[in-house]
Amino acid sequence: MAISTWKTCCKAVNSEILVLQKYFMFSSEEVSAQNQVKASVQRKIRQSIAEEYPGLEPVLEDLLPKKSPLIVAKCPNHLNLVLVNNVPLFFNIRDGPYMPTLRLLHQYPNIMKKLQVDRGAIKFVLAGANIMCPGLTSPGGVLDDEVEAETPVAIMAEGKQHALAIGFTKMSAKDIRTINKGIGVDNMHYLNDGLWKMERLE
Amino acid sequence: MAEKPQPVQVLYCGVCGLPAEYCEFGPDFEKCKPWLIQNAPDLYPDLIKEAGAGDADKVSDQLQSTSISSDGSSKPKEEVKRLPGGKIKKKEKQEVIIEKVTRNKRKWIKLNDASKKLGKKFATGASVVKGPTEKEQIDVQGDIAYDIVEFITDTWPDVPESAIFFIEDGKKVSALNVE
Repeated sequence: MAISTWKTCCKAVNSEILVLQKYFMFSSEEVSAQNQVKASVQRKIRQSIAEEYPGLEPVLEDLLPKKSPLIVAKCPNHLNLVLVNNVPLFFNIRDGPYMPTLRLLHQYPNIMKKLQVDRGAIKFVLAGANIMCPGLTSPGGVLDDEVEAETPVAIMAEGKQHALAIGFTKMSAKDIRTINKGIGVDNMHYLNDGLWKMERLE
Repeated sequence: MAEKPQPVQVLYCGVCGLPAEYCEFGPDFEKCKPWLIQNAPDLYPDLIKEAGAGDADKVSDQLQSTSISSDGSSKPKEEVKRLPGGKIKKKEKQEVIIEKVTRNKRKWIKLNDASKKLGKKFATGASVVKGPTEKEQIDVQGDIAYDIVEFITDTWPDVPESAIFFIEDGKKVSALNVE
């Protein structure tokens, strides 16, 4: 009895509350290890990034030079940071796709597909909340119908020029539009989170 | 299609670190305002009207105080001590990171000696730990935040107080390093 009421309670709550999953709320002291990766791994990472972000190919040489040692830092929550010259450029969770840091995305804004949230969602996203479908389907939001589920996307904000966050879609754009409930995109990295503040890893 | 995309230079607010257009969502928009008026007047045109409406003096005062505080970094709670030589001192309990900046002086402080002195002075353990990158740290046990500043300036007169910063995290996670 108790369990069933608890479950319904949770369901009702879930559509209303914004689940906070802050991947980057840690300081640089919690980096457990930093390893210079060997060439084979370095090649794999470069290849994976080149595939995911074809827009970056021409500058990939400059960003991830073959000569420069690529360092991978391991952080809590199965998070890996790819560093070049102590500057974090990409990150990934477990073995997921590599995603650029927001600072990098600001420099090359067109490498990822963009989804836009309405103005009201901005402060929640900046607090680490995931992006709920209504934020994308409301008048201030913009959905790119080509976007599939499980894809890294740039989260833009209504009325703002620069990306607000980097997200990983949980639902495809079409589903977001039709179902319009629940979490549409996971908020992986947002402005002023731990990773944003870490311009260099000392 | 081998055109290289040029990186976009984004104007990040000097106060809150966000792209200037997001300052209104930042921790303290009031502080950002004077900076914004100076550096990004086109983004918040209303600010200029506000300021212009008779408080030209106030604004310039605020500007001065903002720039002083960002140079001196004298807020006791939020300073960062950084060492280009890579010296970081930690506390076990409060996750305070103290690094030293020796920008102007370029004098390194010998870590071994420093750690001995620290250990003696505070009668606790202190050891030199090498991290994987260039950084080297001195781990000191116990709670010595406030004493450290005095101690450093006394023992090494080369390091001016203004070069010492102080970070305090509110966290209770203990430092991961060598015990």
